[in-house]
Amino acid sequence: MTAMIGTVRRQVQTAPLFSFWLLVLGIMVIVGLISGIRVLWYGLEVTNLTDRVPWGLWITVDLSAIALGAGAFSLSTVAYIFRVKSFERIARIAVFVGFVGYTSAMLALLMDIGRPDRFWHPVIYWNIHSVLWEITMCVILYSMVLVFELAPAVLESDFVAQRFARGPRLGHFLHQFTPAVSIVGLGLSLLHQSSLGATYGVLVARPVWFKPSLPVMFILSAVAAGSIVTLALTVFYENMIRQRQIETRLRNAVAMFGGLLMMGYLYLKLWDFLATAYYSHVPERVQANNLLETATPYGLTFWWIEIVVGALVPAIIMLTPRLRRQDSWVVVAGLLAIVGVVVNRWNVTLSGLVVPMDWSPGAAELFPVREYVPAMSEWGVAIGVLGYALLMLTLGLRFLPLFPKSHEKGHH
Amino acid sequence: MAEEKYLTRREFIAAMAAVGGSIAVAAALSEVDSLRDLIERELALELPDVVREAKGHTVDGTHHWAMLIDLRKCIGCQYCVYACQAVNDVPDDMRWNVYHPEVTDTGIPFHMTRPCLHCNDAPCVSVCPTRATWQRDDGLVVMDYQLCIGCRYCQVACPYDARSFNWQEREGPSGYQPEWGNAEVDRRPRGVAEKCTFCIHRIDRGLAQGLVPGEDRAATPACVNICPVEARVFGDLNDPDSKISRLLKELPTFRLREDLGTEPNVYYVPPEGMAI
Ligand code: SF4
Ligand code: SF4
Repeated sequence: MTAMIGTVRRQVQTAPLFSFWLLVLGIMVIVGLISGIRVLWYGLEVTNLTDRVPWGLWITVDLSAIALGAGAFSLSTVAYIFRVKSFERIARIAVFVGFVGYTSAMLALLMDIGRPDRFWHPVIYWNIHSVLWEITMCVILYSMVLVFELAPAVLESDFVAQRFARGPRLGHFLHQFTPAVSIVGLGLSLLHQSSLGATYGVLVARPVWFKPSLPVMFILSAVAAGSIVTLALTVFYENMIRQRQIETRLRNAVAMFGGLLMMGYLYLKLWDFLATAYYSHVPERVQANNLLETATPYGLTFWWIEIVVGALVPAIIMLTPRLRRQDSWVVVAGLLAIVGVVVNRWNVTLSGLVVPMDWSPGAAELFPVREYVPAMSEWGVAIGVLGYALLMLTLGLRFLPLFPKSHEKGHH
Repeated sequence: MAEEKYLTRREFIAAMAAVGGSIAVAAALSEVDSLRDLIERELALELPDVVREAKGHTVDGTHHWAMLIDLRKCIGCQYCVYACQAVNDVPDDMRWNVYHPEVTDTGIPFHMTRPCLHCNDAPCVSVCPTRATWQRDDGLVVMDYQLCIGCRYCQVACPYDARSFNWQEREGPSGYQPEWGNAEVDRRPRGVAEKCTFCIHRIDRGLAQGLVPGEDRAATPACVNICPVEARVFGDLNDPDSKISRLLKELPTFRLREDLGTEPNVYYVPPEGMAI
């Protein structure tokens, strides 16, 4: 009796919160829809993008969403390719986070390109010399991998199982191929996650970007942040339903994995700074760095937010047993990691674009520092994409078996 | 109607002959063609109303087109800027061919203009995910507006700010027709990138008619034709006798940001007071 009263009371207490949450998400999605329709109707004119700063907030959203989805391939690689069985328990939610991340990125990208009706062109008209082409192909193929990896979860869900009796069995059947598919996914992910950095790194005329370290820094930060975010989401969910989903040992292992990678990323970042700004003095780069420091918001001070708050603090939380044991710290680490990735992708994009390229042979100051502040419509679309992502996560956690009991039992 | 047009042309030619006569005198005196005359010669060219962009059409490497811009001669009149805008139907905020007042390290002012440089190793070509931008065997870096998805990576990649994007559906005239020439190409749709084409429509049609680009005005870029001091020279690098080949042998020249390895096909003669 007391237990029943407790449940009822809890539902009354939590249900309003849940409905409020759904309401917020609904508003975000509607804001996004209105902005998106405006963009499609009037064209990119409604943005603050210009010929000199042609990429902005939406590219940041893309890059961040894809990076935060990187837990998908890294954790399932550990689970299925290195055959660390315990990781299988968290691999599925990681894949789901990846799916949400990639679809969000595609949504933002669809808004960003001038001809959304031609989004499929790269698939037909190959330019194998283009990093962007390679990314497009990898992202499309990898999304298919994610759908395949996610299919068992959908087939096993109550919703499908009740209507389609053979669903779960089909799910089990598909699940057998997961290790093989993971290998394909690993290859595709390694390629495009780093190529996103290369998108900037290969541009010889942009002194802030042109360096070989960008691809490696992109993939490292993505894998680290992606894993931490997946863990944080899991812990958050455990608190929502008040039931543990993963063992403490797995939690520690994933935390160590994310934390160590984050430290590796910071180490690389330190040397990148030392090598490109401190110990060496390529005139162009020095000039660009000075300009960033004095005339833009993208100077070193800003980078500290990204590095200390967005990377160092989460890494410390993950690596300190006393902190990672506490749920609230893990969730904080996840949120900070998200901040870190978003701010980093924004910084990298904008710092490269606002520094003008001096192509004229004379000495006149022809090219002012470029400025860009996103327009309302850009914020609107970004909010909509975020709303979509949160809604998907909410629904997925609510309706999909994202923490499978254990496939081994059913199979072996 | 046709007869009316014919008569107009007759009048036109007569007028041109008259103008030409006076120009001969004027030129002898000043060595600078009058603007009116230059524009009228442009308008008198046999050009169909609208010429479509050459698309998918194979071009061999017989020719290699290039431009020379003599910064010693340029007087900063910006005629080339306006003629380009008229002929290619480009509005002010999307100029393919730009002008900047410049100054040398030693403090001597000069005039800088810049079309697309048609780089041999063009960053815009290698980054395009759809092959909407590519280099033909005759050296021209061209675009297919039907393929472009509007990702703007080419804009980010071009080291010379030479690319414009159609942020909106364009309305109204470019503002320079018909005073500076008539639109000879279709207006580009919303959502695609564009850039200077070296007036590819004139080159391709001219060649088909047996004309020589760089010598016959109807086959030569509008900016070259309109230049009152002949600061711009256009022609075939593969032809050792072309004017541009000869000038490149005679004059000291440089290209913009050669350190980047883009190998532009636009050469500049340095202005007074600039060492190269
Ligand atoms: S100048 Fe710019 S747009 Fe023109 S070919 Fe070179 S890279 Fe491409
Ligand atoms: S904007 Fe068009 S031409 Fe430029 S890179 Fe993208 S698809 Fe190619």
